[in-house]
Amino acid sequence: MKLLVCIKQVPDLESRFKPDSEGVWYSESDLAWRMNEYDEFAVEQAVQLREKLGETVELTVLSIGPDRVVEAIKKALAMGCDNAVHIQDPVAAAKDPWQIASVIAVYAKDKGYDLIFTGMQSQDRGSAQVGVMVAEQLGYSSCTTLVGFEYDSGVVTAKRELEGGIKGVVKMKTPALVTCQLGLNVPRYPTLPNIMKSKKKEIITLAVSDLLTAEPLAATISFYSPTKKGGGLVLEGEVASLVDQVIGILKEKTSVLR
Amino acid sequence: MIKDESTIKLMIDTVSSYVKDRLIPIEEECAENDSIPHEIIDEIRDLGLFGLSIPEEYGGLGLTLEEEMLVVFELCQASPIFRSVIGTNVGIGALGIVLDGTEEQKLKYLPKLASGELIGSFALTEPEAGSDAASLRSTALRDGDDYIINGTKRFITNAPEAGIFTVFARTDSENKGAGGISAFLVEKGTPGLSLGKNEKKMGQWGGHVCDVNFDDCRVPVSAIIGGKEGQGFKTAMKTLDKSRTHIAAVCVGASDRIIKEALSYAVERKQFSKPISDFQLIQAMLADSKAEAYAARSMVLETARKYDLKKNISTESSCCKLFASETVCKIADRAVQILGGSGYIRDYAVERFYRDVRLFRLYEGTSQIQQLIIARNMIKEIN
Ligand SMILES: Cc1cc2nc3c(=O)[nH]c(=O)nc-3n(C[C@H](O)[C@H](O)[C@H](O)COP(=O)(O)OP(=O)(O)OC[C@H]3O[C@@H](n4cnc5c(N)ncnc54)[C@H](O)[C@@H]3O)c2cc1C
Repeated sequence: MKLLVCIKQVPDLESRFKPDSEGVWYSESDLAWRMNEYDEFAVEQAVQLREKLGETVELTVLSIGPDRVVEAIKKALAMGCDNAVHIQDPVAAAKDPWQIASVIAVYAKDKGYDLIFTGMQSQDRGSAQVGVMVAEQLGYSSCTTLVGFEYDSGVVTAKRELEGGIKGVVKMKTPALVTCQLGLNVPRYPTLPNIMKSKKKEIITLAVSDLLTAEPLAATISFYSPTKKGGGLVLEGEVASLVDQVIGILKEKTSVLR
Repeated sequence: MIKDESTIKLMIDTVSSYVKDRLIPIEEECAENDSIPHEIIDEIRDLGLFGLSIPEEYGGLGLTLEEEMLVVFELCQASPIFRSVIGTNVGIGALGIVLDGTEEQKLKYLPKLASGELIGSFALTEPEAGSDAASLRSTALRDGDDYIINGTKRFITNAPEAGIFTVFARTDSENKGAGGISAFLVEKGTPGLSLGKNEKKMGQWGGHVCDVNFDDCRVPVSAIIGGKEGQGFKTAMKTLDKSRTHIAAVCVGASDRIIKEALSYAVERKQFSKPISDFQLIQAMLADSKAEAYAARSMVLETARKYDLKKNISTESSCCKLFASETVCKIADRAVQILGGSGYIRDYAVERFYRDVRLFRLYEGTSQIQQLIIARNMIKEIN
């Protein structure tokens, strides 16, 4: 059985973002990078399945991006993936989700992956498109926003979270693709001995130019911070008059007291 | 020396997330209960932290000293008691075997020390022999194929948890100096070995020290580290040369954490209608702390690199231990000052750190002993 997990390296969300010089994406200078959080759920789920099914399973981790993404790949290897594919692309951020998905699909085609795991979305672009478009291009069944996952002899049972906390359960035959959501699992810390051991695992490097066949379908035309809204309102005075003021504001500006 | 940048970066990442997610949230509870929950010890074991310094061929991670320092800086962003759990296995409780043990001793103990299955303790200090360790009185008398150990060891870190003790005792009753001392590996449960009660300490609650008593405790000849009599004091000094740099790294980590606590308080707390961080007298304390912590960090890394190049670091490691431990205490003192009355109140981590870090100027050689070593080496060099 063959499993693939697709991951993206994103800036640490505590970083300070600045638009780049063209104003269409963020500037990459002075950023700390980490594995996209949703992809950590994907890696963890794939590793858990691999551990459950044992040695006959091969779990590959794939990432597209410049050389720095190898750090995220190494983390996934230390978490328990068997080997890795780095699709080298210094300008991955300039590609639209359709192109990224098609690069993955071109790579994965004919490789016979039974199951593909991705994050629900990336924390930087947040399109939530790549996973489902990979499935579409490969002709796989797919299911998004997983908060529960089970696998038994060729059938995936996926629990999804819907609006308002309502749950749905979906069954799919493999080959299939799932996108993983917060709450699915608690990703493990790669242990220090596993980090050492993963140094020996193979990382295949491919050039994106060999896999890119699709034209972009969409372009981000601007990237900017929202204009600052006015600061909060600070009320002062005696408690009794503060209460009156708050009630006044709630009546006037909200529907809370109506 | 950093063997592989990305590997060490991943390790630091793991330790830093673990410290943030798991250790800092429970440090106060551990101090309050004077104990660390078992599941935390298990997690620390699973992460592989017990094996930082033990060579890879014996199941450890075999980090270079510089790599070890970087991991320790990160681990010590949390209370120093968590470092203390692994401290003896990474440092004094295993180094004797790593540096001078026979192959048989290494194979027998190091894999278990690296995995954390076994805790190692280092038993040098005695009631009458502290700074003047070479005057120790414990004896180990040869009896056929055995030695019989008698004596009391004082303030032994992790003794209540330890499975294996590195014990220093006099094998040559004629030689009252360092040359009469040998180092032994004594397993827990050996008849004649017993523990005193846990000491009530000023700080580092959750970490334990007690007396270790030897009363006609019989060990085989093969328990001598390195198989040779009279080498024990050299083993102890070699061990301390390395582990003093480790303690200095612990001080650097704690310094950074204390500065973080003081800084975040200073920008929030308002007096005279502005954040106290606007006052230059507060800024001076923050800046001095930052500069000194940075100096200590640089010294530790430089010394570690020298060690990794197989150079003698006796002077440098004492410089590191002296400077970093004095520095962290100054920084903790300033942090209490910056927090004002709150710095004296248990609700604030700074109060706990102030007590915790005081130990670093005392053990593994007091500051005065570091000064003596440094000066002695300087004078020796000129002669
Ligand atoms: C919590 C804790 C954990 C410890 N863990 C261990 C352990 O795991 N293993 C172990 O073997 N020991 C351990 N120790 C013991 C520690 O190393 C000793 O306490 C330390 O070396 C000092 O010895 P002492 O307490 O006997 O003080 P003393 O040697 O009596 O010193 C008292 C004072 O005299 C000063 N002094 C002594 N000689 C001189 C001199 N020649 N010139 C100038 N000043 C001098 C000292 O600097 C100090 O200020 C631990 C101690 C503590 C408190």
